[in-house]
Amino acid sequence: MTIIETVDLKKVFRSVVRRPGLSGAFAALFSREFEEKVAVENVNFSLQEGEIVGYLGPNGAGKSTTIKMLTGILVPTSGVVRVAGIVPSEHRQQNGQNIGVVFGQRSQLYWDLPLRESFELLRAIYDVPRDRFAQNLRHFSDILDLDRFMGTPVRQLSLGERMRGDFAAAMLHDPKIVFLDEPTIGLDVVAKEAIREFIATMNRERGTTVVLTTHDLADVERLTRRIILIDEGTVIYDGLLARLREEYGTHRILVVTLAENYPDVEVEGAQPNGRDGNIVRLRFNRHEVAAETLIRRVLDAYRITDISIEEPDIDSIVRRIYTEGYNALPAALPI
Amino acid sequence: MLAVYGQHWRINVLTALEYRENFLLWAAFAVVYHGSAIATLWVVLHTFPSMNGWDFRDMAFLYGLWMTAHALHDTLFFGVGNVPEYVRDGEFDRLLIRPLDTLFAVIVIPGQIFPDELILALVYLGITTWYAGVRVDAAFVFCVPFVILGGTLIELAINVIVATIAFWFVRVDALRWIVLQLEQEFTRYPIGIYTRGVRLFLTFVFPFAFMNYFPATYFLHKPESALGLPPAVGLLSPVIGLTFLGVAYAFWRFGLDRYKGVGH
Repeated sequence: MTIIETVDLKKVFRSVVRRPGLSGAFAALFSREFEEKVAVENVNFSLQEGEIVGYLGPNGAGKSTTIKMLTGILVPTSGVVRVAGIVPSEHRQQNGQNIGVVFGQRSQLYWDLPLRESFELLRAIYDVPRDRFAQNLRHFSDILDLDRFMGTPVRQLSLGERMRGDFAAAMLHDPKIVFLDEPTIGLDVVAKEAIREFIATMNRERGTTVVLTTHDLADVERLTRRIILIDEGTVIYDGLLARLREEYGTHRILVVTLAENYPDVEVEGAQPNGRDGNIVRLRFNRHEVAAETLIRRVLDAYRITDISIEEPDIDSIVRRIYTEGYNALPAALPI
Repeated sequence: MLAVYGQHWRINVLTALEYRENFLLWAAFAVVYHGSAIATLWVVLHTFPSMNGWDFRDMAFLYGLWMTAHALHDTLFFGVGNVPEYVRDGEFDRLLIRPLDTLFAVIVIPGQIFPDELILALVYLGITTWYAGVRVDAAFVFCVPFVILGGTLIELAINVIVATIAFWFVRVDALRWIVLQLEQEFTRYPIGIYTRGVRLFLTFVFPFAFMNYFPATYFLHKPESALGLPPAVGLLSPVIGLTFLGVAYAFWRFGLDRYKGVGH
């Protein structure tokens, strides 16, 4: 069942043109010019219930604007948004009951008080029945290990602990859909893993639909198969992460540790890709030359102590799409 | 809604207890703030024994009515004054995704609110009622809470209007202080001392006169009433407060649609 749907979504912001300097600022007091900026345009996608999707894009691409329209904070300039069957900005209160939101940069917990007090307030706000509340809290504590710091004032929690608290807070009312905006930003590996585990568990056990925006592609790789890439306000890719990797991840890096200090290292079929002392990096297209052939060529010409192959990470693939554009690249290469 | 409101107060009290020293400092601030205002009144009336037929004792009671309404407002609706701040730092977005009316969501944001000023105001009002020689009968005891509630709603309405303006201009801290300053100045003295234009303004545009002047005129049995209205209009202050709040709320809803259209 389709749970989120957008049709030709568009958002235009009108803002005052800011002229530079103090004199410019004074001039703006008396006469103002406005400019219109298209933040998001032609955004079309739909999500099935229980899906997890990674919504990715560089800074300023329109990710937040889209999320704000999906959550009902902003009204689209044109186009349609439907979330769980309703138009969010027109039925904000009902929509609020359907969704949970975690902003990685902004907590919804009460700074001065123990975590448990924030949960109590949220229980009242979302009108969660007491037994359901207790049950959820017990379950979340098991996964996120909340018990250790349930009684500590939020201001004294580490970022990782606070984020776990924020996740529990967003899920207490059993939302059908959760929007996660940069949920793992600034976290250490352990905390990141705990959060990812939590998202995966909620999705598996409760069928919660998840929309995830992140810069950390490890989040995406761990949690979802489908991604939507947005750049300059429009969707440039909507599909499987694996396909993207297949199409764009054509290059591998052969990392060779030399036994002697050779001045120049050249191997047919590969381009030098940086050198650090005796460690040499060679980039090659796996459709043009087999790794086996390349390794043999290296062994024939040089004495080495170690060799390995680096897979392209999704990070570099996405970066390549942002800089070169999706269509500019060859679509389907022979595999 | 009641459950949310109860939780809001539970958290306010817990926060106040968490920061005991700060709570005591705020209580001290209330004493200094209102103490100096009352002292100013005393100095003024020491120089001019009577102002339009009102002596110091009358004006002390006039101040008491305003102070109580103001303290009740700050106790119940303090969060409304923070809306411009929430808009600026983006916290307002969070309120828009709550399953609550947005104005109510603002009101139930817990903070460091404690009814210390209100307690002080009630004590002061009690003393000045006796001092000004107001006849305390059943009618007075019945009417006073409504009059104070009316004053509270008037102040709330003004603050809702100022908060709504933040949806357009984001930074409106100056406006907030201007309005608060006007409110304090124009509620301190009987409005009969002002020109007719100001009196009309304080009665029909920003009805501060209903916070304390008209009710005090009625309770003190003052012969004159500004604008020739009968003193009993003072008892209308809850009606005026509700009406004014209705207007302010409509403006708020209008501004909210605009915020959702533009964002910040």
